[in-house]
Amino acid sequence: MWVYEKRLQFPVNIKETNAKLAQAIISQFGGPDGELAASMRYLSQRYSMPYKEVMATLNDIGTEELGHLEIVGTIVYQLTKDLSLEEIKASGFDKYYVDHTLGLWPQAAGGVPFNANQFQSKGDPITDLFEDLAAEQKARSTYDNLLRLTKDYPDVYEPLKFLRAREIVHFQRFGEAIRLVQDKLDEKNFYAFNPAFDKVAPCIDMNKCK
Amino acid sequence: MRQMGQSELFNYINQVSFMLDDITLYLNTHPTCQQAIAKYNYYKDIRKEAIIIYTEMYGPICKYDVNVNNHWDWVNKPWPWEGECGR
Repeated sequence: MWVYEKRLQFPVNIKETNAKLAQAIISQFGGPDGELAASMRYLSQRYSMPYKEVMATLNDIGTEELGHLEIVGTIVYQLTKDLSLEEIKASGFDKYYVDHTLGLWPQAAGGVPFNANQFQSKGDPITDLFEDLAAEQKARSTYDNLLRLTKDYPDVYEPLKFLRAREIVHFQRFGEAIRLVQDKLDEKNFYAFNPAFDKVAPCIDMNKCK
Repeated sequence: MRQMGQSELFNYINQVSFMLDDITLYLNTHPTCQQAIAKYNYYKDIRKEAIIIYTEMYGPICKYDVNVNNHWDWVNKPWPWEGECGR
């Protein structure tokens, strides 16, 4: 269950529309390293995670990512609000406009629609957490690219800078999560069994089984 | 907090809430860190009070806290993407 709060995690108040920037930033709404994929990744992975600290981490970061999806959506919405037909044509926003008018739709900057293949939920704690660490870095790089494109627009730049910083914090927390998982596994072979599936660890030393 | 204007109090709620967002993620992987627990308790109380005051003076942030008289206020208070909350 989620409870909505009528506020953004970081405020967004953009004074001037800019459809060109919106077309790049929408990638963090529905693109391959975007916030929707991030949220769905962690909220899907949490069910089968066998360790309680890591389950909590997936749940709470997945929830925060929904808040980030809302921040990115707000940026795109405010950048495209009340655009004139002339602005739509001049900025190249016409290709998006023809299918979605000024509505928000999860897609990458290149127009590729959101797809669940943009994330994985493997049901193996080590695999899932390495996916999560990579995802946070990919999102950080995407924000770095967006920050280069928006440095002359402080209203847009500041919330993106905040979101970039959160990627790094999440990476840190997932790094701690992977350490917690490995502490509970056999240090000689972390991959000997899948703690989310194999009920009993197979005997690594076959002699002990006899 | 009652002396703050609407936008100042709203920003204050956002800032204190963010402190809690960050501390709670940290606590998930460091559940026995006493320093973080003390910070959590400190900001939790501030946030609770700030939200009660904001809701009473300017309207609901959460649908479970609406003070209903004869009109359902939840629908006409601005939504955050409108860029007007707390203004």
